[in-house]
Amino acid sequence: MSAGRRGEILVGSAIVAAVVLVGAYLAAGGASYTPEKTQNPCKHRAWTNPEGLQEIAQQFTLSALDGAACQLGVSRETLARALATPEEREHFTERYDITDAQLAKAVRAGLLRAVDDAEEAGALSPVLAEPLRETLRSIPLDRAIELINNAESLLDNAQGILGPAQELLEGFLP
Amino acid sequence: MSEAPRPRVAALALAVGLVLADSSIVVLALPEIYRELDASVAAVSWVLVSFNLVMALAAVPAAHLARRLGPGRAAAIGLAVFAGASLACALSEHLSTLIAARCVQALGGAAAVTAVLELLPATVGSERRAATIWATAGATGAALGPAVGGLLTELVSWQSIFLIQVPIAIAAAVPILAVARHEAATGVLSAELRQTGRPHLLANLALALISAAIAGALFLLVLLLIEGWRLSPIGAAIVVSVMPLCALLGSRINGLVSSARARAAAGAILISGGLGGLALLPKAEVALTLPPQVMIGIGLALVLSALTETALGGRAPQAIHGGWTISARHAGVVIGILAVTPVFTHDIAQQRHDAIDAGTAVVLDSQVSPLLKIDLAQKIGDRLDEEKGKVPTIGPAFEPLPDDPGERDEVVQLREELQDQLNRGATHAFSPSFGIAALIGLLSLIPIAFARRVEL
Repeated sequence: MSAGRRGEILVGSAIVAAVVLVGAYLAAGGASYTPEKTQNPCKHRAWTNPEGLQEIAQQFTLSALDGAACQLGVSRETLARALATPEEREHFTERYDITDAQLAKAVRAGLLRAVDDAEEAGALSPVLAEPLRETLRSIPLDRAIELINNAESLLDNAQGILGPAQELLEGFLP
Repeated sequence: MSEAPRPRVAALALAVGLVLADSSIVVLALPEIYRELDASVAAVSWVLVSFNLVMALAAVPAAHLARRLGPGRAAAIGLAVFAGASLACALSEHLSTLIAARCVQALGGAAAVTAVLELLPATVGSERRAATIWATAGATGAALGPAVGGLLTELVSWQSIFLIQVPIAIAAAVPILAVARHEAATGVLSAELRQTGRPHLLANLALALISAAIAGALFLLVLLLIEGWRLSPIGAAIVVSVMPLCALLGSRINGLVSSARARAAAGAILISGGLGGLALLPKAEVALTLPPQVMIGIGLALVLSALTETALGGRAPQAIHGGWTISARHAGVVIGILAVTPVFTHDIAQQRHDAIDAGTAVVLDSQVSPLLKIDLAQKIGDRLDEEKGKVPTIGPAFEPLPDDPGERDEVVQLREELQDQLNRGATHAFSPSFGIAALIGLLSLIPIAFARRVEL
């Protein structure tokens, strides 16, 4: 075989190998990855038949996170992580240039939305929802901040957020 | 060749392989150096960049020095400087001293590598064979570098990477000392004083481009394995050792095809195809990196050898033209690293953010009990805090698993879904950078094709 022919075979083989590899990886979905998008927190999310106070409390937390995140213009997931620790919260407020007052106001708005959602889902009687709203609306700003600042972790934060709501719910629910 | 003194040829090849391995040997050690010397990521990257930059700048002046001093003496002195600087690297307690020592290491290395090229033709009896040995030793060293560095970092320490080079450099210098003594006794400098023109611009340009692509391949693959997929340095070293092994295979093909142009083009295509494969990895699985690595390894041996032969062929003095190839290759490495790093750094930060958001959503929307869900979200937050800046291994956040079998299955599924999100996000973050490296590799085909009519 001539030297030129060997060279052509070598180059041809290289092209085939490159095309086969790239083609195979493309066919296997190599270019199709996109991260799952988080949902818009401003979009209503229906409650999923909550049963018992614990599940109501969870749905309530998620609705409150959605409402607060919507108010702040961030995702629910970002806000959930931001409330996990004081350091995360500080990082979050710095990154998004949010004051504690704005954060507290947003959390209060989130709690109000949670009441709306609970009422809509039938988890809270309309008769009881309005007094609950009044209670949450009248929570002073420092109390709203306290709900956040007293937390050491997302669990504590969640319990902190749920705490008064849970107490209120316990008082209002049959 | 039968009369060529084997120990001297081996010593000369060892010297070239040793020095050129240093252009990539610290890649797997950078995270360790970063932690131990308390440096920033950007600063620690200069441990890699400084060596290549100084090699690029010093290679041609070092080659002139080699001709002035005599190649034997220049190689011996270069290796001695290299050994001393390697020791200084190992003893460095601050990043600044480590980078300074790396610069000195590169100066010594540049002198040794270019002088060796002047010594090899006389030793093996053929300029072409000398160029092939020189290029193959360099390609093997450069490809072996990350694997050896990873093994040493994990088994001993990052300092051992430099310590082990001291006796190797001395061992390589010993047979060369005989030549140096002969030069000193006879006053003979370089035997070849003829000058045959300018450096081969197109071959050197192609070398720079292909070196940039290869640097991207090594640098990015190592980072993907360690930072993206959380492999240990030794695990990553084993994985990337496929490339040098295949480079050895590729060097066998060199002997079967005489056309340098064909070998250069085939090598560039294989490297670009391999990088394209790495840019399109369908899953975060080590096995999927193997076919691209095989192609890159074979391509590396083909293209570096062919382009080096072309750049040196019929040109003298060999040391000067070899200096130009070293300069082109290391400039390419610097350009490659500097070109892909900002892209990949930005992309991995964005992908990490997206993947964490998606993962948090998976947990919040899951069917596990409310308190467990909140507990998981808290632990995931803690994991992110612990591994700030990296893609976390999320498994520990799910320990201990719930006792209830149904809930346990739910949590295991959740854990796998979340880790898959993180791994795929990390893999995808490297895709644009691998794609850029592949394009740079393809660009090298332009000077290779153009040189066909002019010089190759």
